[in-house]
Amino acid sequence: MTGRDRLPTAVLLAFGLVALEEARKLRFGSIARPGPGFFPVVLAAAFSLVCLVLLVGAVRGRGEDAPAAAGLGWPKIVAAMAALFAYALVLEVVGFVAATFALLLFFFRALERQRWPLALAGSLVTALLTYLVFKVWLHVQLPAGPGGG
Amino acid sequence: MDLLHGLTYGLAVSLQPGNLAACFVGVFVGTLIGVLPGIGPVATMSLLLPITFTMSPTASIIMMAGIYYGAMYGGSTTSILVNIPGEAASVVTCIDGYQMARQGRAGPALGISAMGSFIAGTFSVVGIMLLAPPLTSIALRFGPPEIFGLLLLGFTMVTYLTAGSKLKAVAMALLGLLLGTVGLDPISARPRFTYGSVTLADGLGLVPIIMGLFGVSEVLLNIGAGVEQEVFHTRIRGLLPSREDWKRSAGPIARGSVLGFLLGILPGIGAIIPTFISYALEKRLARQPERFGHGAIEGVAGPEAANNAATGGSMIPLLTIGFAPNVVMAVLLGAFLIHGVQPGPLLIKEHPDIFWGVIASMYVGNAMLLILNLPLIGLWVQLLRVPYGILFPLILIFCVIGVYSESSNVWDIVVMLAFGVLGLLMKRFGFEAAPLVLAFVLGRMAEESIRQALIMSGGRFSILLTRPLATVFVAAALIVVVLPVALPPVKRLLRTVPVD
Repeated sequence: MTGRDRLPTAVLLAFGLVALEEARKLRFGSIARPGPGFFPVVLAAAFSLVCLVLLVGAVRGRGEDAPAAAGLGWPKIVAAMAALFAYALVLEVVGFVAATFALLLFFFRALERQRWPLALAGSLVTALLTYLVFKVWLHVQLPAGPGGG
Repeated sequence: MDLLHGLTYGLAVSLQPGNLAACFVGVFVGTLIGVLPGIGPVATMSLLLPITFTMSPTASIIMMAGIYYGAMYGGSTTSILVNIPGEAASVVTCIDGYQMARQGRAGPALGISAMGSFIAGTFSVVGIMLLAPPLTSIALRFGPPEIFGLLLLGFTMVTYLTAGSKLKAVAMALLGLLLGTVGLDPISARPRFTYGSVTLADGLGLVPIIMGLFGVSEVLLNIGAGVEQEVFHTRIRGLLPSREDWKRSAGPIARGSVLGFLLGILPGIGAIIPTFISYALEKRLARQPERFGHGAIEGVAGPEAANNAATGGSMIPLLTIGFAPNVVMAVLLGAFLIHGVQPGPLLIKEHPDIFWGVIASMYVGNAMLLILNLPLIGLWVQLLRVPYGILFPLILIFCVIGVYSESSNVWDIVVMLAFGVLGLLMKRFGFEAAPLVLAFVLGRMAEESIRQALIMSGGRFSILLTRPLATVFVAAALIVVVLPVALPPVKRLLRTVPVD
């Protein structure tokens, strides 16, 4: 555990404490007749305790080292994530085929820098093919758009 | 029903056209995703779960199991040819397998891993047949304290056997349990942590969590790291290992099979750990340990046998107790429940077709894999040449389809994406996902069993220590915690686990 661990363990500890506070609002019951709050309170308390120990270790800068992560291309990851969240939000509004086409176009063109004709064709074919395979052939539920597809 | 009768009955079930087709699809898809890095059996099984809705329970489970052991075959191909583990259980195979490939011996490496896997897979099927029925009768005596003791052992094992920080693994297991309490309280049906949301009232879904932690996060990591796959370009000739290869591999395959099978039964182990232990064991037993790391065929044969045998062993707790010893079995448990079948001690009586059919299908599937794998290696190599830029959007779309089709709820996609981000951060900071998911799955069972046990005993935790079976489990959990400290050799054996 190194200084790198301070932020994540502090965030986890904060989460544990909030969870503990929220869990305490549930009826605890007694040890002989545990209520709905019993398990969450015990868990949140134990979780917070473990996170506290981790945090203390991280601040003191000792303990086991986390495996070193390779340099990550954060801009690309953030762009992909943002596209995916947007995709989830419009999926039921515009339908599976249209949303998937737009998402794939973004991936192929903006992230992977394929040429326009290739990106357009690839996105269209993939969106239609997945629709045909999953919806028409395998009868899997997919979000319908204004045109029913 | 005696064993022979059970097996012939099972073979008859597994050879029915529908079940045979399910088995084929399972092992084929399993090998495929095993070959492809970045998508493993857990995500795939979750993805295909909705497709099984229209299938019979037997065919569904046969297909799901096929994906798991199929992935074990496929994963080694990528390890040997590309030096990237196609699947986590094939990490060790990279060490000597890739070296063999570089020395022009890719063929024998692929051959011995396929045949070693076949031998081990077959061995573990025989093991299941012999062990499952007697274990079933023990499992019938399980009450809440025994179940809680077993879960405690499972959590302890899974956290103490992770590669990184144990304390972080404990934190993740607790987080998983905590996330599992979202939704309605299993006993009083009161809502907990739902904040008026309909999506949360049903609890967080297993499929979105798994797809997020194992699928989306892996893809994000690869996008960020910009993976370039260097496929081995020499032609692969002569898949058949030589007589000398067999002589070297026989022992490792036999030991790997037994080791993998026995370890696989234990909660929390899964298929990955036995491969590391098998590698360490073979290196220790070898006359020339210095050959390891430079293309020793023993280092491929042993671990490959071990991971296949472990997949079989881990079926035992699921089929006999209804307990998921690892994440993959947790998904399989989900598949059982979706089809209205409760795996456990009554399975063999109430659904003999599923019990024996699934076991027999694993024989059939292993044979299929051997036939499928050797000639198709050329195809898998081609597949590895598909650039990641084309592959990753497809994987993401499949994850979305898998999650949406299970619940028809767009918010589950959001949950998946959120867990994708969480998974990425966890990988970045050295937190393991496996303890979280396993604890999430078993959390409900853990809560019910401890609360019932406390009600039974009038609030005395000592009930866990006064019933023999429960005591055994709790004691075993304690030993797991104490053993690595008390026994340095064991610790050293576990430490030889090479963490990249």
